[in-house]
Amino acid sequence: MNDLLVAKEQVRYEQLAYWRNPMAAVFTFMFPIVFLIVVGTSAGSSRVPGTTLRYDQYTVVAMLVFGLIAACYTNLAMAISLRRDSGVLKRMRGTPISIGSYFGGLIGSVLINVAILAVVVVGIGMAFYHLHFPYHPAAVLLTLLVGIVTFCALGLAVTVIVPNADAAPAVVNGIYFPIVFISGVFYPLSDGSVLSRIADWFPVRHLILALVRAFEGGPGSGLQAGDLGVMLIWAAAALVFTARRFKWDPKHK
Amino acid sequence: MADSGGDLAIAVEGLTKSYGSFVAVGGIDFEVRRGEVMALLGPNGAGKTTSVEILEGYRKRDAGRVSVLGVDPERRPRSLRVKVGIVLQECAVDPYLTVAEAVTQRAGLYPSPRPVGEVVELVGLEEKARSRVKTLSGGQQRRLDLGLALVGDPELIFLDEPTTGFDPSARREAWDVVRGLCAEGRTVVLTTHYMDEAQALADTVVVIAAGRVVASGSPDTLGGRDHGETTVRFVLPAGCGIGDLPLPAGLAPVTRGEFVEFRIAEPTAVLHTLTGWAVGRGEPLEGLAVNRPTLEDVYLSLTDSQDRPDSQDRVEDRGAGPRAAPADDPAAAGTGAAGTEPGPAR
Repeated sequence: MNDLLVAKEQVRYEQLAYWRNPMAAVFTFMFPIVFLIVVGTSAGSSRVPGTTLRYDQYTVVAMLVFGLIAACYTNLAMAISLRRDSGVLKRMRGTPISIGSYFGGLIGSVLINVAILAVVVVGIGMAFYHLHFPYHPAAVLLTLLVGIVTFCALGLAVTVIVPNADAAPAVVNGIYFPIVFISGVFYPLSDGSVLSRIADWFPVRHLILALVRAFEGGPGSGLQAGDLGVMLIWAAAALVFTARRFKWDPKHK
Repeated sequence: MADSGGDLAIAVEGLTKSYGSFVAVGGIDFEVRRGEVMALLGPNGAGKTTSVEILEGYRKRDAGRVSVLGVDPERRPRSLRVKVGIVLQECAVDPYLTVAEAVTQRAGLYPSPRPVGEVVELVGLEEKARSRVKTLSGGQQRRLDLGLALVGDPELIFLDEPTTGFDPSARREAWDVVRGLCAEGRTVVLTTHYMDEAQALADTVVVIAAGRVVASGSPDTLGGRDHGETTVRFVLPAGCGIGDLPLPAGLAPVTRGEFVEFRIAEPTAVLHTLTGWAVGRGEPLEGLAVNRPTLEDVYLSLTDSQDRPDSQDRVEDRGAGPRAAPADDPAAAGTGAAGTEPGPAR
């Protein structure tokens, strides 16, 4: 069997299942869009300090990040935790499918979700908030890709510490919400503030900053090596941790 | 490619597995021939699941030699995985796919799968083919699980308690599916708690207790069952004492309530005398039952006579139950306590 072909089929079935489960799509798509409409319309037209973006435009980028994290980290962590607990992972492991095809299918499906999200959110930004089409589109794409890799890796890693499916929402969101909250997703942080110094240790703020810079006009490629580097360090650590500790069997067994 | 194991689908020698200081499997040996149904029996915690999961490639052994279709399953080579179908105890299918989608998806993982429609029909889910898995009943999900294990056209199928929770007719249908697999020359390894299931399906039974094989053989001869004593039981006719019965010396009849019963190696002559006597008196022998030890009797005496003081009584009770007149429906008696069981079903 051709692994790539199998992975492609897996993407198709992952997508089928994903869109039939409305709960998974709520945080990825509904929340960013609703937040964008509510906050964007009331954010006024002043600029976010240190950027050329207005508050409503910043919110567009921040909601893209929020949705990306929901699509990669939250959805992947929840899906894998549930599947492990119900024995789906164990069953798959007894079939001829390769690990690469299986996770390739999951992550390919996540890629599609992020692409849809990006088009919708940026489309709303451009249509209603005068967000300019990214000045550095390649930088936006590459930054999104690094973000996807990082938060997929973190989603896989967190499944290692999820004890069972019942505890999955608490563990997954318990880690995610505080970090998202202090990282300037809902309101821009001022540089040098205590909160921003804490947030600088985590990948969320770096993804926002790197995307903001890639959307803004400015000299150079628009790529933020420092921000991407921090994300990639997190990604590498998460992948090593996952590779060493990942479990296929339900933990209660 | 290694040789594929010859006549043997599975060969296990000196298999051991411990978890910390707990010895789950303490050195077991058994073989499964190709085309055979092997039932692995044993109490919970006896090492059944550990043994099967080592054969399936889910666990690593500590020591011993294991060959599955001529290959060591520990390395989980894909060449082996395409030939093996596994049904675990948990139903494990994405709840948001339909039955047909789930089977099609699984079929796509194998080099020469069976047609999807054929598999759906085989497990009796034609009418549910377009329903989402989450809407299926528990029994239907188990049947889908079985279908998913069969879609790759496996040579060897592992079934872990495949009919637990089935109603009697669904169990019969599942048994027919297993018999069909054997008729096609496939090998089946089955774990079960139902002795009637082992009796109906298995060519060979291996009983494991406390990590060791305590008996193996055909269900009809296991543990000397074919040589075991027959129990004869009937209601003591009114006005008679035990001493009035025309029984040969040496028998030790006992009374249990209104019943009298005795055990005898070869009951033909005694029954002839006894029934002739009753006919001569013009009265029937109420509740007459003649029972060979059931597989369950043998199993219980093999597995828990040491750790359960009351087990001997239970064995006797079950072997000589008043309802155990020649029964021909093992499924109707879920405990397997029916008296006369059908022979090997195939």
